[in-house]
Amino acid sequence: MSMTLLEKSAARRPARTGDATARRRRLMRPGVLAGIGFVSPLVAYMALFYAYPLYENVSMSLHRFTRATYVTGEAPWAGSAIYREVIASPQFWPTVSHTATFVVVSLVFQYSIGLALAVFFQRHFPLSGVLRGLFLVPWLLPIIVSGTTWQWMMDADSGVINRLIGVFGVDPVWWLNTDHSLWAVIIANIWLGVPFNLVILYSGLQNISPDLYEAAAIDGAGPWRQFWSITFPLLKPVSAITLLLGFVYTLKVVDIIWIMTRGTGASQTLATWAYSMAFGKGASAVIKYSEASVVGSILLLIALCMGFVYLAVQRRQEA
Amino acid sequence: MNSKRTLATAACAALAVVSLAACGSGSSDNSAGSSGSDKALSTVTFWDPYPQYDDSSDWAKYVEACAPAGTTLKRTAVPNGDVLNSLTTAVKEGTAPDVVLLDNPAVPDAAASGLLVDAKTAGIDTSGPDANLAGPGTVDGVSYGVPIGANTLGLYYNADILKKDGVDPASIKDWASLDAALAKVKAGGDGGITFAGISGEEGTFQFLPWFWGAGAKLQDPGSDAAVAAGQLVSDWIGKGYAPKSAATDNQSASWDLFLTGKYAFAENGSWFAKAATEQKFKAVMMPIPAKDGGAAPVPTGGEFAVAPLQKKDASAHYAAANQIIDCLVGSGHQVKTDDQLGYFAASASERKAQIDSDPMWGPWANAITSAQGRTSDLGPDYTATSGAVSTAEQAALNAAGDAGSVKKAFEDAAGSLQ
Amino acid sequence: MSTRTHDHRAWWKTVIGVTLTAVMLFPLYWMVNVSLTDRSAIRDGDLYPRAFTFDHYTTVIHDQLPYLGTSLVIGLATVALTLVIAAPAGYALSKLFVPGKRLLNFLLIVAQMIPAVVMALGFYSVYNDLGMLDTVWGLILADSTIAVPFAVMLFTAFMSGIQRELLEAAHVDGASYWRTFLRIVLPLSRNAAVTVGLFAFIWAWSDFLFASTLNRSGDRRPITMGLYDYIGSQNLQWGELMATAVLASIPTGLLLVIAQRYVAAGLTAGAVKD
Repeated sequence: MSMTLLEKSAARRPARTGDATARRRRLMRPGVLAGIGFVSPLVAYMALFYAYPLYENVSMSLHRFTRATYVTGEAPWAGSAIYREVIASPQFWPTVSHTATFVVVSLVFQYSIGLALAVFFQRHFPLSGVLRGLFLVPWLLPIIVSGTTWQWMMDADSGVINRLIGVFGVDPVWWLNTDHSLWAVIIANIWLGVPFNLVILYSGLQNISPDLYEAAAIDGAGPWRQFWSITFPLLKPVSAITLLLGFVYTLKVVDIIWIMTRGTGASQTLATWAYSMAFGKGASAVIKYSEASVVGSILLLIALCMGFVYLAVQRRQEA
Repeated sequence: MNSKRTLATAACAALAVVSLAACGSGSSDNSAGSSGSDKALSTVTFWDPYPQYDDSSDWAKYVEACAPAGTTLKRTAVPNGDVLNSLTTAVKEGTAPDVVLLDNPAVPDAAASGLLVDAKTAGIDTSGPDANLAGPGTVDGVSYGVPIGANTLGLYYNADILKKDGVDPASIKDWASLDAALAKVKAGGDGGITFAGISGEEGTFQFLPWFWGAGAKLQDPGSDAAVAAGQLVSDWIGKGYAPKSAATDNQSASWDLFLTGKYAFAENGSWFAKAATEQKFKAVMMPIPAKDGGAAPVPTGGEFAVAPLQKKDASAHYAAANQIIDCLVGSGHQVKTDDQLGYFAASASERKAQIDSDPMWGPWANAITSAQGRTSDLGPDYTATSGAVSTAEQAALNAAGDAGSVKKAFEDAAGSLQ
Repeated sequence: MSTRTHDHRAWWKTVIGVTLTAVMLFPLYWMVNVSLTDRSAIRDGDLYPRAFTFDHYTTVIHDQLPYLGTSLVIGLATVALTLVIAAPAGYALSKLFVPGKRLLNFLLIVAQMIPAVVMALGFYSVYNDLGMLDTVWGLILADSTIAVPFAVMLFTAFMSGIQRELLEAAHVDGASYWRTFLRIVLPLSRNAAVTVGLFAFIWAWSDFLFASTLNRSGDRRPITMGLYDYIGSQNLQWGELMATAVLASIPTGLLLVIAQRYVAAGLTAGAVKD
């Protein structure tokens, strides 16, 4: 399914970029050979490692696999039947809506907190290097450990978070119940995603010449103006890539949600749904390889759409 | 279900042909012309779900000593939740281990999916264990393995707290008296009961004593009796008798809560019996009460020793499997194995000696004799029903006492299985 | 580079920075707290380890050190492999003409969405045929697939910021593409390289799925598999788990702090002036 889209876009491109002579002229440019040379290890690598799993995923979504037919490899062809079943399932639309909330809210906060911290760390101050490094440490912890820590901190009866908000007179919250669990996992996921955003955006900031800021300061621009007229515009390419990658990674988050709530209630996203079916690990131990692959393919499709958006943004920046 | 099983059987037959052909071509590599006979194995492989025992542990050495003559045994510990999936992949790729210790409710699913060789073909003796414990290993009259041992659930209580709050443990005979005790404990400022209501099989396992104790049957998870069981645990949350984290706690987590000494009761397994004797408070076990009195039926826990299907050198692998399994659970060996694991021996005669040797096991003797196999009623269909029951229990816990939601949850569960 | 002005305001920033870091690292503190608490009090939720014990660490130091070494080797080798594949590709995609560039960009995005479990099962099948299961370098190869698409995209984004005049000047001087890449592009991309390296390392370090599928029973297994030792089928030893996590994050935390310092300011600007 995804391949046909790609082929179409590939087929359409030459016609769009102009006539055949222009194309030949570009191919003759001396950079071409070098370009192919530099990119060929990557192409070989991708063909070797990604082509087969991708094919496998799509193929599994089109055959009806059970545990038995998975072992024998004799699953019957099902065409689009499993896609229709999954989309018609009463779980589908609520899960899509949880996923959308999870991704959008996570991204907005991860990015804005990450950017604020990156700007904060942009100018050196005593200990800034060490503190910046320490911000990464949460990422080194095995998710099973950090996920459980969050679960305990959000414990309804004795968790430290409820005790903290109790100090301000707020009633204790049952963070991990069906209704609130989505917000609980979003909070933990934002915590998990801030280092990623901080590191990339900070590196991006370092590539902006300090001369620009000096010039702006001489012109009398305050920090607020400097941010909006220098930092933010010049950071756009890096911001775009950070948001795109953040989107892709948030879309496929499983582990933190899984450890905290097992994807129960409102915390079920497309990714945890696929995971529970692929491993038979959710409420039900019944394994559903094909249904999981269908959800996997849907996730691929969403990522692909984001890819189009990204390319459009990139083209506008180049123009 | 039936057509699925036929398919699996057909697939097994097809595989047998393929593996014979493979053996035939394989043996031509050997200089000796002994065509047809399998290559002698030099390494045998063994999987268990006990990662807590590392390579230098007594358990590892004990298992390694079971290697058939002329071979070395390679043990791999796979976490319980991953065993079935890892086994599926390994059988598919023809790298299955010789012996796997598989969680008992997973055995019918594995057998129906064609992952296991039946005990008769492998030559495994399945006659020893008690019928209630061997139940999950039998699918449609065909036996697939031997229980390595068994464990089950009981109701631990903190005798110090009960004394302080004026509750006589002997008064707890049914749900009404248990609830009355919980109310008293709560009034005394202590926590009530910890249990594991986590989504999935572990939660179902812990819910079954209440489910069965109300008279509900797995064939009908929407019955009034099932709703009553759901209402019981739901009210515990609603009235503050149980921590809200019960909805996300696994058995280990709920045990840790009990260990804090703040809770009066804990529904948990016989595998903690030894740890219970080592606490700073006095922890005692009593049978889980049924709704209207008497001990509730409890589910059996523990793994089965099974031999996975082999694609190559099958008969040599099965012979090795047979020897390893006999070494672990053959007659006369059970108690030694099960003492290592903290399990009960699966055959009554051997278990008697084990229970007599340690007073700690005394209160558990009846529980294990009257325990029921989870899959005995439904076979491979248990997997789906268990999932539905778990979903319903989750909804009941989150409803925190709301009767309408509890009833709907169990009716939905029954509906989802039709 | 000369913006290191230590005025009075800078100290205020340190105070704020320390506060923010403390908030961020609070869950980490909680872990340390639990790792020092006796099991009977682990769910008490005390703010400091009141039922103090050092037992968990004694156990862990005894059991887990070899796993740490293996994880370090796997992490560093994954970084090397990722950089070797991704840096030239980033150069080509940002500065040279590559036919099918947009298609390749697409595939990079798609590649990151392939469920890791599908990748793992594919690797399992191939490794089984090649006899590469349970090997350290098999795991390195697999772990690199987590980082490579990301690395290429990040290099492309960063390298597109290098001024074209710089490269053209080098060509006029007669430098080959290879020399231009080595002498100009690569040094200017140090920030990106360090960033990519950090992520490749962290992902390889924390990978659990590939390790549990592809290196289930090898002799040299990473630390994520070592954690398994404390996860019994019905009994989880949280104290030991947390202690392992704390212990494992000390050497790698140091590595990260050091690596982060190499993300330096004004590289491009400096090069233009020279």
